[in-house]
Amino acid sequence: MPTNVIMPALELAQETGKVLRWMKAPGDTVRKGEPIVEIETDKVTVEIEAPASGILRDVTAREGDIVPVGQTIAVIATTTESPAPAGTPDSRGSRSSSLSPPGRGQGEGTDVADGKVKASPLARRIAEEHGVDLTRIRTATGKIEKADVLAYVEGLQPAGNGGPGRLVPASPKARRLATERGIDLRALKGSGPGGAVLAIDVPERILAVGATEPLTTGPLTTTPLTLPSPQRGEGGSGAARRGEGKGVGTVWRIMAERMTASWTSAPHFYLVREVNVARLRSWLEAARKQTGARITYTDLLIKLVAATLVQHPRVNVSWRDGALETHAEINVGLAVAIEDGLVVPVIHRADTLGLKDIAARREDVVARAQAGRLRSADIQGGVFTISNLGMFGVDAFSAIVNPPQAAILAVGRIADRVVPVAGQPAVQPTMVLTLSCDHRALDGARGARFLGALADLIEEPLTLLA
Amino acid sequence: MSERELTYGEAVKEAIAEEMRRDPRVFLIGEDVAEAGHPFKTLVGLVQEFGTERIIDTPISEPGYAGIGVGAAMTGMRPVVDVMFGDFITLTMDQMVNQAAKAHYMSGGKIKVPIVFRTTLGATRRSAAQHSQSLHAWVSHIPGLKVALPSGPYEAKGLMKTAIRDDSPVVIFEDKMMYRVKGPVPEGDYTIPFGVAEIKRAGRDITIVATSSMVPISLGAAKLLEDIGISAEVIDPRTTWPLDKQTLIDSARKTSRALVVDEGYERYGVTAEIASVIADGAFYHLDAPVKRLGAMDVPVPFSPVLEDLTVPSEKTVFEAARALCRR
Repeated sequence: MPTNVIMPALELAQETGKVLRWMKAPGDTVRKGEPIVEIETDKVTVEIEAPASGILRDVTAREGDIVPVGQTIAVIATTTESPAPAGTPDSRGSRSSSLSPPGRGQGEGTDVADGKVKASPLARRIAEEHGVDLTRIRTATGKIEKADVLAYVEGLQPAGNGGPGRLVPASPKARRLATERGIDLRALKGSGPGGAVLAIDVPERILAVGATEPLTTGPLTTTPLTLPSPQRGEGGSGAARRGEGKGVGTVWRIMAERMTASWTSAPHFYLVREVNVARLRSWLEAARKQTGARITYTDLLIKLVAATLVQHPRVNVSWRDGALETHAEINVGLAVAIEDGLVVPVIHRADTLGLKDIAARREDVVARAQAGRLRSADIQGGVFTISNLGMFGVDAFSAIVNPPQAAILAVGRIADRVVPVAGQPAVQPTMVLTLSCDHRALDGARGARFLGALADLIEEPLTLLA
Repeated sequence: MSERELTYGEAVKEAIAEEMRRDPRVFLIGEDVAEAGHPFKTLVGLVQEFGTERIIDTPISEPGYAGIGVGAAMTGMRPVVDVMFGDFITLTMDQMVNQAAKAHYMSGGKIKVPIVFRTTLGATRRSAAQHSQSLHAWVSHIPGLKVALPSGPYEAKGLMKTAIRDDSPVVIFEDKMMYRVKGPVPEGDYTIPFGVAEIKRAGRDITIVATSSMVPISLGAAKLLEDIGISAEVIDPRTTWPLDKQTLIDSARKTSRALVVDEGYERYGVTAEIASVIADGAFYHLDAPVKRLGAMDVPVPFSPVLEDLTVPSEKTVFEAARALCRR
């Protein structure tokens, strides 16, 4: 039995994946567990391991192709197997064959040049109408007729993983709940028989923030779910895929979509405050000495923001569907610039972590973000984001709220500035914090109280210990 | 409400006796019903009170005395026709299905057939294949017949009185294994309306619809389920026709899961009809397929060991419910 290599769904709302690089060529012998192809999803790049040992065949997805999840992108034949019998147009017998394009197909490079394909004019016209590449169709006689093309097209259709015509297995109740809550069943992992989605698998709300919950639909991974509906229609995936062709990476595309969604739907307001960081600086030095770890200002800020969120749970919210949603966990996201744009890995339950742990987690996720090796769990569940551009010499800036979060803290550089101390001008290290808020979730007074409490902690971090 | 307790058999007898005292048109006919007081001893003493004109012993001919009953009902009497074993309704079928059930309709409503067929169901009595079947599905299938399945002494009296007063033919199946089971039965007159299910036990996680003999079994299973944290709602429809669909559907909508337990053969059985009603009415609220438990697809074996395996038990109900709840 040949084993299909399938475009995996690595994230909840993932509909497609991009084939970045084949590490094995058609005809290569592969061992089970050996990486064979690199796949890029909205936010992560992963190596896909061979699901079986054998010979790689029928590589139908080229590098750069964007393929619906669930679609077969190659086949691993056992070494004793001859290639699938040349010429059965589409043996309807086996389920797997209906997923994979029928026929043999030797993969890239061995395709018969288009001119040499023997096809009836009708077959050609139908192929053209369906956008089918005739070189991918194999028949017993070598000549392609109408039925062969139709069989091929039909064989492709179910590949959309729950696309039209194929139901995601789910109980009727789960189906109804998902509809009522506006959740795409395909994004859910079913715990029922055969992976069927049960009622318990449908999150109470779209964003059940809680990092431990596997169903959590984190803000960045679930673009199709978290974007307000007007964003979906016109600008949908078709347009995005065209963009892809012009060299915009997925991460960039997602960033663009999400920021547009936030900017056009969340009414922003900004609170600015300059804080004295003299004591923060001493704390940093002491902490570095104590722990021996490479602790940064960012780590201190994560710790202090988490502590402030504990005091101000009212800020730990989202505006969703006309109601405020409060979150139990304090998961602080950190905006990280990478080659292809911006990602926001999350320090989960930052309020429960010590500085050393925060630093270790931060180092880990930043390194992996830059290597394009973030896992979906790394970017899920954030409730508040810190964006620090201090290292670029920026004094202050206004950030765009990362939906569906209520606020984002923009951190400027630390610089020695002249400030009045006891009625006299003095030179002190300060930095400017700008809190951007979604006015649907927060009002000015609440935002100001939060920022005030945070400023107090920064100026007197020892109160943390009290 | 009196705290008085009667056995299931005594409750049946009390219902018949009270109705016979109340209405002189009521009489009882069957095999060994008079002097013998019925093979299950459920009618002991009736002939002494009402005499052999109203408690009538017949030769061994079910079709014959069933016909007498139907004719008497058509001409103004209110007979209770005793069919000792439910298995024997095969012999009375023509009178039940083609005569009693049809006359009212075919006469344009001019003829009423206020007859009660009193018979039994239930296995595990070591009575072998011809005396152990639960054939209530057969008559539940027929328009024009009402079918009652008392699940305890209280129901045995209340449903029997309703059956005798009903102007339509009613087939009432008593559980022969329950005749000695005791339970509270109020003194004096009360009836239980047909087509009204009773929620025997409220629960959250699964609805167990159980009929007749399967009600106590299911209540026992519900206790076992409680021990593992599953809250089961047990509902007794009390009559398979008229069927209280709404109560069953409402419960399944609430719990999202349903198990239907009945002692009749599972295939094409009462469980199938009830499961279908639930699947239809609660579809968008169900989180699992509706599951059925009935008697196995075999003639009931005489071997006690095998016989006990063919019908649902507390354990099998418990296991089926647990599987539905995925625990």
